[in-house]
Amino acid sequence: MHEPKKIFVADDDQDILNIIEMMLRSRGYEVVMSSNAEELFACKAEDLPELILMDIWMAGVDGREICGRLKKNKLTSAIPVLFVSANSQIAAITEDCRADGFIAKPFEMKLLLQKVQEHLHASMQAQTCDQISQD
Amino acid sequence: MIKGDKSYNDLLTRINELETKLDESNEIIESIRRGEVDAFIVQNNGTNEIYTLRSADKAFRLFIEKMNQGAVTIGDNGIVLYANTSFAKMVDVPLERVIGQVFLGLIPEAQRQPVSQLIAAAWRDKESRGEITIPGKEGGELPVALYLNQLEIDGGVALGIIASDMSLQKEAQEQKREMEKKDEFITIASHELKTPVTSIKGYIQVLQFNFQQQGNTHAAELLGKVDAQINKLTALISELLDARRIENGQLPLHFDRFDFSALLHEIVEETGRLLPQRLVVEDTTEGVQLFGDRNKLGQVITNIIDNAGKYSPPSSKIIVQAKAEQNILALYVKDQGIGIPRDQQQKIFERFFRVKGKKENTYAGLGLGLYISAEIIFRHQGRIGVESEEGKGSTFYFQLPVIRGENLSASA
Repeated sequence: MHEPKKIFVADDDQDILNIIEMMLRSRGYEVVMSSNAEELFACKAEDLPELILMDIWMAGVDGREICGRLKKNKLTSAIPVLFVSANSQIAAITEDCRADGFIAKPFEMKLLLQKVQEHLHASMQAQTCDQISQD
Repeated sequence: MIKGDKSYNDLLTRINELETKLDESNEIIESIRRGEVDAFIVQNNGTNEIYTLRSADKAFRLFIEKMNQGAVTIGDNGIVLYANTSFAKMVDVPLERVIGQVFLGLIPEAQRQPVSQLIAAAWRDKESRGEITIPGKEGGELPVALYLNQLEIDGGVALGIIASDMSLQKEAQEQKREMEKKDEFITIASHELKTPVTSIKGYIQVLQFNFQQQGNTHAAELLGKVDAQINKLTALISELLDARRIENGQLPLHFDRFDFSALLHEIVEETGRLLPQRLVVEDTTEGVQLFGDRNKLGQVITNIIDNAGKYSPPSSKIIVQAKAEQNILALYVKDQGIGIPRDQQQKIFERFFRVKGKKENTYAGLGLGLYISAEIIFRHQGRIGVESEEGKGSTFYFQLPVIRGENLSASA
């Protein structure tokens, strides 16, 4: 049996956290929720998630800045980051921050699950390739 | 031979005279080249004839004389050597009383300190710049930018000062700030409106999923209708934002390669929920890749299909036909609705336009959908149009070039 994939969800809106959690759990993912994405930087290597869903404007926290730090950090740079936001510039922000993708709010549950699956799959393949080339 | 000797000496003298004249001429030409000569005075039959030079130098002088900026040259003693009319007007002193004056004396007392600092800085660093405020028309204030440059003239040094009236720039900046404020408001308003909609839509989808799992298809179907209405609300919020952005010339598009057919089927599924059994799809574009903004083109398709549903009888069919021929992809949406009078067919792509007729009040909408659609298609180098006959129906269509990603920059 594979371990369930761990997904980190950061949003300052509790309802949206609940909804995304319900959607992801219904598909067997393990979900870690946070209203403050800063927590990610306190994670031990073995506790790091396999994918991050994150809002852009969060109370006191700028998702763009967090994404930039994640992508610069060796430990976290390979974790796919998807922005989930109602920001109308979401596509451009995703590109600027070198995030891996975005989901515009309000979102379709189907689309969210599909994107999560796609990015987990792509990141797993990249890891396998890395391992083969290292061996 | 004596005669010959004399003429030899005569010739030598003549040659010497000519050489001196040639040297003089060369010197004059050199002076003209260096811009040191403004005019020649030629004595002719006891009268002086003045010949001024129509050189590039004169063109520059005229240019400086006529320009809107104030131009002043001051000597190292602070006295104005030259000023143009614009500067005289700016300080409200007749031009003939500006030249020869102490420059600082022309500047309002309150500004003398910063201006003298600028002058000192320009002498020290060769150039300086700053901004001052001088009394303007009708008791107002005139913001003026000063650019000071050290110049070498006639073997000495002087300061060239350009004074620009900044009031127009300030006004433009003010307008831009105002526009940005409005734009920021719309952006925040849109974000704040979409946030609760996201929660409502999210809970509904979770409920719908749960009902489906439990086999309660009726409840799931009803929630599907709620969800479709929420999508309409979202579309209205986006329309307001987009229309505002188009007005400001900054509708952001995000270009990427995508499969058109997959997009069409997504939209048909979504719009079809509010138009059950009415959409007939004929799609032969399978595998056709477009380079464009997938979301925005989806918005155009949604808009055209929604319109077809809105303006046609409840159970009538709507034909959605997509085909690709010779690098052009075309989508046609044909309804059997009220149609559009010929004289209004071009106007429907204008902002806030809604078809005028007896029943106009029964159709909801902001009149922004087609305006935005036309802009989106236009920005993709495409065409959008309508063929319609009143009482029989309309066919809305758009055509898009099937292009390779390399041919179009992402900022297009």
